Amino acid sequence: MKKQAVQAEEILNSANKLRWQIGDQFHDSLMESIYRDAERISQTVVNKKDEKPRFNWDRTLDRILTSRVVGLPVMMLLLALVFWITIAGANVPSGMIASVLIDKVHPILKDAASVLPWWMSGLLVDGVYLAAAWVISVMLPPMAIFFPMFTLLEDFGYLPRVAFNLDNLFRKSGAHGKQALTMSMGYGCNAAGIVATRIIDSPRERLIAIITNNFALCNGRWPTQILIASLFIGSLAPPALAGLVSAGAVMAVTLLGILLTFATSWALSRTILRGEASTFSLELPPYRPPRILQTLYTSLIDRTIFVLWRAVVFAVPAGAVIWLISNIKIGDLSIAAHIINLFDPFGLFIGLNGVILLAYIIAIPANEIVIPTILMLTVLSLHMAGVGEGAGVMFELQNSDAYMRLFNAGGWTLLTAINLMLFSLVHNPCSTTLYTIYKETKSAKWTAISAFLPIIMGLLLCFFVAQIWRLVQGMG
Amino acid sequence: MSQTISPQCETCPVHHAGNLIKLGVNMDSWDYVVALAGNPNTGKSTVFNALTGLRQHTGNWPGKTVTRAEGGFVYHDKRYKLVDLPGTYSLLSTSTDEEVARNFILFGKPDVTVIVVDATRLERNLNLVLQVLEITDRAVVCLNLIDEARRHQLNVDDRTLAKELGVPVVPAAARQGEGMAALLGTIDEVAGGQIVCKPHRIKSESRQVRAALEALVKMIQERFPGLSNARWVALRLLEGDHHVIEALRSGALGDLGQEKSVGQVAA
Amino acid sequence: MTHPLESLIFACLAIALALALFWPQQGFYWQIRRGNRNTERVVIEDALKHFYDREERGSAGTLASLAGSLEISHDKAASLIERLQKMDLLQTYRHGFRLKSEGRSYSLRVIRIHRLWERYLADETGVPEVDWHREAEFREHRTSADQAEEMAARMGNPQYDPHGDPIPSSTGELPPSNGILLTHLPVDELALIVHIEDEPEILYKQLVAQALHPGMKVQIAEKSQDRIVFIADGEEIVLAPVAAGNVTVEPLPKEQEMEGPYDTLDTLSPGENATVIGISRACRGMQRRRLMDLGVVPGTTISAEMRSAGGDPTAYGIRGATIALRSQQAKQIFVNRKEAA
Repeated sequence: MKKQAVQAEEILNSANKLRWQIGDQFHDSLMESIYRDAERISQTVVNKKDEKPRFNWDRTLDRILTSRVVGLPVMMLLLALVFWITIAGANVPSGMIASVLIDKVHPILKDAASVLPWWMSGLLVDGVYLAAAWVISVMLPPMAIFFPMFTLLEDFGYLPRVAFNLDNLFRKSGAHGKQALTMSMGYGCNAAGIVATRIIDSPRERLIAIITNNFALCNGRWPTQILIASLFIGSLAPPALAGLVSAGAVMAVTLLGILLTFATSWALSRTILRGEASTFSLELPPYRPPRILQTLYTSLIDRTIFVLWRAVVFAVPAGAVIWLISNIKIGDLSIAAHIINLFDPFGLFIGLNGVILLAYIIAIPANEIVIPTILMLTVLSLHMAGVGEGAGVMFELQNSDAYMRLFNAGGWTLLTAINLMLFSLVHNPCSTTLYTIYKETKSAKWTAISAFLPIIMGLLLCFFVAQIWRLVQGMG
Repeated sequence: MSQTISPQCETCPVHHAGNLIKLGVNMDSWDYVVALAGNPNTGKSTVFNALTGLRQHTGNWPGKTVTRAEGGFVYHDKRYKLVDLPGTYSLLSTSTDEEVARNFILFGKPDVTVIVVDATRLERNLNLVLQVLEITDRAVVCLNLIDEARRHQLNVDDRTLAKELGVPVVPAAARQGEGMAALLGTIDEVAGGQIVCKPHRIKSESRQVRAALEALVKMIQERFPGLSNARWVALRLLEGDHHVIEALRSGALGDLGQEKSVGQVAA
Repeated sequence: MTHPLESLIFACLAIALALALFWPQQGFYWQIRRGNRNTERVVIEDALKHFYDREERGSAGTLASLAGSLEISHDKAASLIERLQKMDLLQTYRHGFRLKSEGRSYSLRVIRIHRLWERYLADETGVPEVDWHREAEFREHRTSADQAEEMAARMGNPQYDPHGDPIPSSTGELPPSNGILLTHLPVDELALIVHIEDEPEILYKQLVAQALHPGMKVQIAEKSQDRIVFIADGEEIVLAPVAAGNVTVEPLPKEQEMEGPYDTLDTLSPGENATVIGISRACRGMQRRRLMDLGVVPGTTISAEMRSAGGDPTAYGIRGATIALRSQQAKQIFVNRKEAA
């Protein structure tokens, strides 16, 4: 054994000596010789038919899709089309699933559970079941539409061209062109956007894409934006323009998100991420005819079901917590009411209120249940009778008048609405996303930064808007 | 333990069960281990899906954030475990992906390594192929996307390629399922020892490098007589690879050169 | 409720304070942390490095030179030298001091860690070139020998730091060096840059600004009292002798010829072809490996295919694949343009 150890050290020593002799060019010269062999072999093996090549589709398509005049408008149109189909197409199935799971199945379960003690049926059916049902009905349809369409574009080979066209913009803020793609994924679901950052093969740019993905409004937050914008901002305009104005408000929030993405990317790449390694290369694969069925299958399994399952797993305990804090009483008031009273001064100070802050804390698992939770908590804290479904039971309302009555009773102003829209854009990612960030980075540090950076930014943003708002009001 | 190759053991599996378990492969109920290597964007995962169907699961490499997929298939009553290696352009650098891939091939000693290459970009893909062939002599090249090559008026002479590389080459279009049956058959023949490969070794290294390699190879072969890839070990020593240095110091390299012990065959 | 204006002013002040405290690198918090580093170990190690450095340049360190290099008073320097002598690391030698063998191997260990860190910063991080030395200075004293070995193993046991200096092996061995200073190179003779001195920082910044790197071929065109004109990889550079004295070169055999100047890949317009001559040594680490993996090695033919709608990345045909590279990267690839057929 001893002799062998000596032999091993001898080998290592001579290896080290040889390394000094060869110098540090060894790797370079090795790669050069491998490629020389590869070139020789491929020259003997591959022959391109000499006949005049037929019309070169790839080249022509690339010239069009990466040109300034046609390329950029085509890209905008395609992405807009994908989003439009998603939002428009998801409404109907979302409503259908909601009507089945929430309007039909929920009462049936409630009846069936009446044999259980009230608290158990409340916890399981009103808390856990309802939260899961809500997440599924809001999340499933848009994802089931968005992801397959996106995967088809990916399969066809178009997405790398988008990254190619937009890279200059992202480069200036220290990011990678492929971040355009992970952002787009983020508009579907931030957790899926985080998983998609795997395509970015440079460590620094990937972390930037992960941390800023949250500024892409995910499908759990679109409904909040649309609802609040149409209730509070659309109503400021004459009825004929209401739709346009509220759409404009949502658009403005989305653009603010994009602006924040660039600004944050820029700041990150120059401060805490300055020392991370960075590289760039982007392969433009040839176009390939997409395989529709296979794409549908894999995008449903890999992305949609995967993300949905994670979201449901996180929503279930949240449902239980929501129900419990609304129903367990300390003294005269429920825990929820105590917390709301505690948060109210600070909430009002930054132009929100205690209900909204509490809703954002207990609805961390999924942005989808923020509005239902806010409604339930508002009713709870006001002791309103005849509205809603009871303590701890999330609900939605049928028409905008009902919403406005409830929000007015809760003391909401235009400032509350604007700040809620801003806070919905700039706050910590949902716990599904945070878990995904942890899984992808394997780092508590980056997960914490992804959580706390936006929440601090959001609170500051609301604070400044509220103070300036009041200042202007005071002057006027 | 014997250091000579016993004739009846031609068809025995050669993989290193102990190291494979360390590398996170569950070795219960599998006869052969097949590794799947390839550049990114070559349709590697399509080949993987075509071979394993739905019998697969994904996880991470032990201690790494690199994902890996595993699956299995049965062919001619033999049970094959298929391990998907990270898609890389090369195996020579310090990146985690490449480290995972080269260590699996070197230390896990899979019975067959399938290298998926893109027929339309053969030259670049050969870079990886030539590196894999330095590590293992049990390899099959899956010349994928042959349909794309045809569409681009490219004719790839797979027979000459097989002769040049010294390993079987199977033309395929995995998206259409073309060539998958032939691939299975070839994997089986290489695993079973019916096909013996004589892989190409890198030839055009500079004079200085060649002299250094020859000197080291001689010393390594003296220390580990059965080692078939002493040249690769020498290359890695010149690149300062600490896994290989460790294996040299601990003597673990020696296990890789020897034929299987009786216990492993029975398992 | 407080007046909105008051709270606004208060918040702005709080944010400004937080930024002043924690701004990366320049924040007070970091400065204080760095200021605390002047412990005994740090001072001793820096002193040893100073004496080693002097010896390497063929002179002996003195009390004055030590005080100047560490920016301490002569009294402190004197007591420091006394302590080093007591620790049996240093001995008097002619008009100055010289390391004993124990002191020499200690300083080689510190130098190994320092150069490993520089290599790490250059290859595995995005820390800018002018900061490598300072960062490594900061980290070398808080790295144990075991940590250093682990770092070396992870990087594939590198043998040179990014300035071209050999990294002493863990047993303290160094290869022989036969370099001369650029100022001593005869006019018209061809040589290879093997080392760029990174201290003092003012001179180093000048060298970095001229993009000088180990591995470049140089040839002196004109030498005088106030300036040295030389060609480096085909481009003319003018330096003051004091700056040129910080560049070490190794003369090349006579038959080799000065090549270049080369075009760089970014000068190709779509439709043009070129053959790769090499990748600049300024392109390191992951970036360099990636390019080579993609097939950018000497002899490869590259064609510029198309420019992005955004103007910057350009797609190149490289060994059958279409790869987009930013102009920043393409600038680091030297090519020979091919005449259009």
